[in-house]
Amino acid sequence: MIRNTLARLAVLMGAGGLAAAAATAGSAAPRHVSAAPIKIGISLSLSGDFSDPGKFAQQGYKLWAKTVNAKGGVLGRQVQLIIQDDASSPTQAATNYQNFITKNKVDLVFGPFSTLLSAPSAAVAHRYGYAFIEPAGGGPAVFDEKLNNVFFTQPAPVIESGDVFANWILSLPKSQRPKTAAYPALDDPFSSPIADRIRGILEKAGVKTVYKSIYASETTDMTPIVSKIAAAKPDAIIGGTQAGDGYALVKALVQAKYSPKFLFLANGPNSPGEFPSKVGAKNVNGIFSASDWFPQARNPGNPAFVKAYVKAYGGTAAAIDPGAAEAFAVGQVVEAVAKKIGSIDNTKVIAALHKGTWPTVEGVLSWNAIGQPQGQDLLVEWIGGKLYPVAPAKVALKKPFFPKPGWGK
Amino acid sequence: MHEVVQAVILGVLVGGIYALMASGLTLVFGIMKVINVAQGALVILAAYLSYALFSHLHIDPFLSILIVTPAMFVLGVAVQLIFVRSLRGPDASDLSLLVTWALALGIEGVLSVIFKTTFRVTSPSYADNSWTIFGYQVSEVRLFAFVASAVLLFLLSLLLTRSRFGRSVRATVQNPTAATLLGVDANRVQTLSFGLGVSMAAAAGAVYGVIYPFNPGSHYDLISRLLSIVVLGGLGSIGGAVVAALTMGVVESLVAVEIAPVWSSFSFFIVLIVFLLVRPQGIFGLRERTL
Repeated sequence: MIRNTLARLAVLMGAGGLAAAAATAGSAAPRHVSAAPIKIGISLSLSGDFSDPGKFAQQGYKLWAKTVNAKGGVLGRQVQLIIQDDASSPTQAATNYQNFITKNKVDLVFGPFSTLLSAPSAAVAHRYGYAFIEPAGGGPAVFDEKLNNVFFTQPAPVIESGDVFANWILSLPKSQRPKTAAYPALDDPFSSPIADRIRGILEKAGVKTVYKSIYASETTDMTPIVSKIAAAKPDAIIGGTQAGDGYALVKALVQAKYSPKFLFLANGPNSPGEFPSKVGAKNVNGIFSASDWFPQARNPGNPAFVKAYVKAYGGTAAAIDPGAAEAFAVGQVVEAVAKKIGSIDNTKVIAALHKGTWPTVEGVLSWNAIGQPQGQDLLVEWIGGKLYPVAPAKVALKKPFFPKPGWGK
Repeated sequence: MHEVVQAVILGVLVGGIYALMASGLTLVFGIMKVINVAQGALVILAAYLSYALFSHLHIDPFLSILIVTPAMFVLGVAVQLIFVRSLRGPDASDLSLLVTWALALGIEGVLSVIFKTTFRVTSPSYADNSWTIFGYQVSEVRLFAFVASAVLLFLLSLLLTRSRFGRSVRATVQNPTAATLLGVDANRVQTLSFGLGVSMAAAAGAVYGVIYPFNPGSHYDLISRLLSIVVLGGLGSIGGAVVAALTMGVVESLVAVEIAPVWSSFSFFIVLIVFLLVRPQGIFGLRERTL
């Protein structure tokens, strides 16, 4: 009996996972004003798997509310955020939005963290005719529903975030481009499509694929994959990674003593506060990644945002998580649209946002009919131990540096 | 061929660490019939302790085994006394699943609050070094981890075969009733053994953090692998767990290289299912007799 129980358990537990539930509520206290405040409902992952990024989003939202209220609010009304914890659960997030709209009677809703939670939440908002301006749901699941109320406040959909790298490679003289490439990718809707898109572009341009594989999310050991890649000796390694596997991939490459001429990872190297400590500060140089935001970016309101963030939360500009900027941008969009149309009526807001361009700390945004942003992400690269945007040229702070130096250089 | 040999080297080195983790799990099961599904979480807890010792006090992660292991032994003894000992009756084994699962979730929750959910790696200066031997790459930390695991498993086997406590443990595994009749203090043996099982997780955790990035949720993947290993090795058999761990390490690595990485984690379960069909008692397990 025990053996049977255990055997079943062993087989089934691979997908196991539970999140502790805790409900917390926060709000940015409004000043006393005569007009009723604008109530904005936001479900955030303040506990569970996404609690860290959820808290960055919370920082961004609260900072925007504080900033805009200090300026007199939106349309002369103070902004009041009603933030509810969803414990990183998509079901709870959807329930929270249902409650915001039907019980709290909020004027507006802002998006939660991640595609997983944004997709069902956007559907709830759509049902009630609410605009769903959201900072972190950029995966296919959000756009596949083809909802007209979604507006993703990053420069590009997640799966297109690597296009900027592929385009930069194509901008190089043919003699300097990689001739061969390897594409290891995480089995994840936000990771492998990024590598696939880059592969499509590079193969068309004649870059031969010498290795491609998908690995499961529970893969902790990247060394067998890297030993196979090293044997194929590619000029470029393009990893469709998330954070943990990205770190493991770099460490395995270092241990295998294989340093390609070009190394692009979709995620991992784009966390300036985390990456050097995970892979060794001496191993970061020459590694590319994509990012939607950068502290030094000259986007509308960005210098003021960075200054206000550091003042409010401490730390340095370099340590600000893009998640805070993405959430701040949501508020900026609302501020701009309200100013333009003189209303926060959701139907009018949705109609207005489908036209024109909208200045935010994430850049000047515009969306297609289903809320996909029409810009492109930044190509970032570690140069001299620091992360810099290196493309597109008009926003770059340094020129791309290649070929990648060997490990430890 | 070069790739295959390289994969086998990687698999054996990884298997050694799995063996250390699984030895504690199978030891506890052998003595108490308790399935400690918190073993993975305890490994991760030890990885965090070792990480904290390295980050704040600059204590080498391999040296930290000497601190983390006794500390976690005490924790294991406390867990057994508080949560596990009170489980009695025919459902005790099944109930132990719930109790230890709750413990795992509790550990995960506390670690998430203290250390957040971002990935951590313990990175001593030699973390990225590797030797090239006949053209094959052998990572220093993985070899150190393998050697540390082998030494600890050897010490565990000495303890079980050459000491009075070890004789009591083996007697309790073979026939608890007879052992008690002959004067073995079953409660004491169970408590100390649980502590010993947890301390094996602790030692493995200290080295795990040097090799893999981890976060509080990493224990889910770990425990599913460990349960597969102890079932494959034969429940309660430490030798079986070691052989199974090495086998699984090599199979996982070979599948990643020769077939596809996406199948490598799943290969654990395929091997398990096949084994359960052809030899349900595992490699070294004894067939249960039924009346």
